[in-house]
Amino acid sequence: MTKSGHAIFFDGKTTARHDVTVELAPAELIIRDADRTVLAQWGYDDLETLSAPDSVLRVGKRGNPVLARLEVRDPELAAAIDEFSVPVDRSGRSERRMRRNIVIWTVVATASLLLVAVLGLPEIATRLAPLVPYSVERRLGEAIDAQTRAQLDDRRVGAAFECGSAETEQRGRAAFDKLMKQLEAAAAVRFPLRPAVIRRPEANAVALPGGRIYVFQGLIDKAERPDEVAGVIAHEIGHVANRDNTRSVLQGAGLSLLFGMLLGDFVGGGAVVIAATTILQTSYSRDVEAAADLYGVLLMTKIGGDPRALATILQRLDGGIHPGGIRILLDHPETQERVTKINAAAAPGPRRALLDDAEWSALKRICAGG
Amino acid sequence: MTTLDAAVPAAPPGHAAPGRGPVRFLGEARFFWRLLTRGAVLLMFTLGIYRFWLTTDVRRFLWSNTELSGDTFEYTGTAVELLLGFLIAIVLLVPLYTLFFVITLSAGPIGEMSSLLSFLMLVVLGNYAIYRARRYRLTRTIYRGVRFHQSGSAWHYALCAVLWWGLVILTLGLAYPFAQSQLERFKMRNTFFGDLPGRFEGTGWALFVRGILMWFLSIVPFMVGLIATLGAIDWDALAADGGSDDLSGWFDATGLSGAIVYGGFSVGWLVLSIVVFYPLFQAMVLRWWTSGLRFGEVRVTSHLRTAQIYGVYARFLWYALLFSLVVLVMVVLALFTVPSALKEEHSKLSEIIATAALLVTYLVAALGYSTIYQATVRLGLWRSVVESLDIAGGAALERVHAGGEASSPIGEGLADALNVGGM
Repeated sequence: MTKSGHAIFFDGKTTARHDVTVELAPAELIIRDADRTVLAQWGYDDLETLSAPDSVLRVGKRGNPVLARLEVRDPELAAAIDEFSVPVDRSGRSERRMRRNIVIWTVVATASLLLVAVLGLPEIATRLAPLVPYSVERRLGEAIDAQTRAQLDDRRVGAAFECGSAETEQRGRAAFDKLMKQLEAAAAVRFPLRPAVIRRPEANAVALPGGRIYVFQGLIDKAERPDEVAGVIAHEIGHVANRDNTRSVLQGAGLSLLFGMLLGDFVGGGAVVIAATTILQTSYSRDVEAAADLYGVLLMTKIGGDPRALATILQRLDGGIHPGGIRILLDHPETQERVTKINAAAAPGPRRALLDDAEWSALKRICAGG
Repeated sequence: MTTLDAAVPAAPPGHAAPGRGPVRFLGEARFFWRLLTRGAVLLMFTLGIYRFWLTTDVRRFLWSNTELSGDTFEYTGTAVELLLGFLIAIVLLVPLYTLFFVITLSAGPIGEMSSLLSFLMLVVLGNYAIYRARRYRLTRTIYRGVRFHQSGSAWHYALCAVLWWGLVILTLGLAYPFAQSQLERFKMRNTFFGDLPGRFEGTGWALFVRGILMWFLSIVPFMVGLIATLGAIDWDALAADGGSDDLSGWFDATGLSGAIVYGGFSVGWLVLSIVVFYPLFQAMVLRWWTSGLRFGEVRVTSHLRTAQIYGVYARFLWYALLFSLVVLVMVVLALFTVPSALKEEHSKLSEIIATAALLVTYLVAALGYSTIYQATVRLGLWRSVVESLDIAGGAALERVHAGGEASSPIGEGLADALNVGGM
């Protein structure tokens, strides 16, 4: 067994390199310079291995405020020090054990984080959403409304963004108001709805926080009966009544807090965060849509309309009706599933016409002035 | 003591034969690949929490394999420190994010300006974090038993950086050399190796002169194209006639068809010039930057060749291409097998499986490219830059006295939480 050897020593006070002799005494290693002056005496249990190239063993004294370093390039001496000292760990065994513990615990932490995100967050958001005061929700709605309008309003000259204000559109507006009045009275949402038909070619409708509902011109064009328009609006009222937007804002904030911060960014651009958030939010949105559909069916039944009309128009438009979530997965079957569920929930009941024929044809022309 | 130290030979016997310069890189790419690949797998399973350990491993590898005049550097930072810094940063940032959220909801001019306001605050904070993170890394860098350290106010730096970067954007990049030289001057003026003060001697004009041709070849055509694009559009026609059904006629009348051609050309040109010039640009900046570094009497010169940087990126592209093919084959296989199993039942379970598959594919791809980037570009740049250096006055490095304290890791944590983390 080697008892001594040559090494390089830095005393931590200056950058001067000392060529030293290392003597392995029973309890400590003794570092001596060429004049046999003792430069340092380090107990074996106080040693710590420091990062170095593979061919070098670099040790220091644990907790030493002075950064003194001993660099051993002689493999035999290095092996001997490793043998004497418990903390010196050239094979990296104890380091690996520590790493394994860390990895196991982080995997567990990740799993519990995911569970919170998938199961906990929707529950928290569902319970918090009704507690958000209407004034806050309305303000939130206005902030989103400004953005939505900026996106949707293509600013055609000579036509307002909202249909129904021009002379030729007045009768259509009256019909729309009549339809809305029936729906709103039956829905009894705690705060006023603020619906409008807007000049957009897509067959779509959106509900914003604070009771704002936009029905797109394209939807009215594609609808064949008043009940179909009413069905879609009833679905949107469902979103308002269930405060889905507020909930999704809360969920989004929670998700970005959970993932955006903890995940950090090793791959650049926070792309993982965006992907994870999008996917989780789409999966939340399935249930939300289903709940709104059910609400729509009940509301339509209440006012004596045809609850199946929502399914009819959904099928005609084939899924393109809601812009809320980005559809990535299994697009087609989703509509089919919704249609089946709507039809199953629709109970037979007394029916009446929501609008008469004249009113319906007026509604069809609500955007004719533009 | 110093008189005695000066007598110590710079390259003691028993050392490997020196390479081209006094600075060598000893690390083997093989080990780095292994380290990164293992790290990537663990990153995936821990949703990124392992990054503190991976970052520390990477730095240890790079630092301890860099040899200057026969002695290697040492990185003494630990993963636990990084984790702690990150947790502290979260504690500081959560109230700030909440504040931003509340501001967005408030009415009036503050509410309308909120996104701009929060963006500005985050940019300032990001630069603050960059400076503090640099301090952390420097104080964890040890050479011959003496640590580097950094003084100076991080807020001061953040303010300067934001103003300079604003100027760079306003001048379409013309101010970039001056911004770089001033910011680097600030950093190096506050950088010390023990009691040896650093400084930066590169000038903005030197970089400006070298880069101006590249600027003319890339930015000027792009700007001309952009102006042509905007000029080609007949704004009155666009505003007046929005509802026409005749799409192609409408495109011609409003000048949009011409604008699309011009726009396509100018954006295409910009992308092409970035692809062609970026390695050239990077080599130029790296050469200029390293050649301006000074520590006391120690002067650094760089002989970095541009071809090396092109080589580094070529390697990256080659590996990325191979990896893309592998991922593509895997995705195609998955598309053929998974949906058939799912088609029978559209239950919640199948939905979760599909979602998870998508997420995993995405993670594998993202981590794969990141690993390839680290192993080719980052290691390649480090090695090329380090080995290109020539040191004059290196004798001064033999008699430096220790100084400076280890700093807190909050800066790194903040940089990490704000996604501005670097090396």
